[in-house]
Amino acid sequence: MNGVVAMRRFAGAGLLLLAVGVSPVAAHHGWSSYDSTKELALTGTIKEAGYEHPHGHVRLEVPGKVWSVVLAPPTRMEHRGLPASKLRVGARATVVGYPHRSTEDEMRAERITIDGATVELR
Amino acid sequence: MTQAATLGWLAWLETTAAATAMRQSLWLYPIVEILHIIGFVVLVGSAAMFDLRLLGLSRQLPVTGMEHHLLPWARASVLLIVPTGALMFVAHATEFAGNPAFRLKLILLVAAALNAAAFHLRPFRRVAEWDHSACAPLAARFAAGLSLMLWTGVIACGRLLAYF
Repeated sequence: MNGVVAMRRFAGAGLLLLAVGVSPVAAHHGWSSYDSTKELALTGTIKEAGYEHPHGHVRLEVPGKVWSVVLAPPTRMEHRGLPASKLRVGARATVVGYPHRSTEDEMRAERITIDGATVELR
Repeated sequence: MTQAATLGWLAWLETTAAATAMRQSLWLYPIVEILHIIGFVVLVGSAAMFDLRLLGLSRQLPVTGMEHHLLPWARASVLLIVPTGALMFVAHATEFAGNPAFRLKLILLVAAALNAAAFHLRPFRRVAEWDHSACAPLAARFAAGLSLMLWTGVIACGRLLAYF
């Protein structure tokens, strides 16, 4: 079966490509990528907001640092009372969550409080 | 294409109307995911049932009969899988392109397609000799086993790309 031989060569080349092509951008959706032993509670101002799939996100400015905060899927946030209109730039927000194990300024939020209303994100 | 050009092209994909709608429309993304899943359930289900027949299960069913029943469904499912997959890709093109699970998934996908093509070009040409109640030739059983492994790998990578 020539096809199989060709396929093996292709797969070999592909694996090499995988090994060489190191990705600068890592995805980070699973909760296991975050260290749940280090709970963080951050209060700051939303500098950027993305009400986007697969997860919403905000850039949250706290004294001395800007955190990249990963939220929940937009459908879930909408369902739980956090529509896109509440996740607005300039709003004050408090997030409770966990820092990413390797990306220094990133955290995933367990819950978010905006205008006194807390929404569970998990 | 240079790396910069590729990155530019991927970034451009993310700015298309389809990509923006995928990210920002409330229900489009989950609907596309559901259609993608329905598509690959039919494709991989068809492939797996055919592979199991080649490996010797349900030998009372003629191989050609199974092929005539399953192949049109497998072909049609591609019409659902590829556009929905492309929509999910463009939504986060840069991220997917650099994702090792996504890269491996594409490699396994091409391997599975080549394996299927090789099967149809070689052992399946002489299917009349082993169509009914007979043991399929080694090349056919090898292709069937490989197909099961490759499709399992494709599904595993598809699920795992959210974790890399």
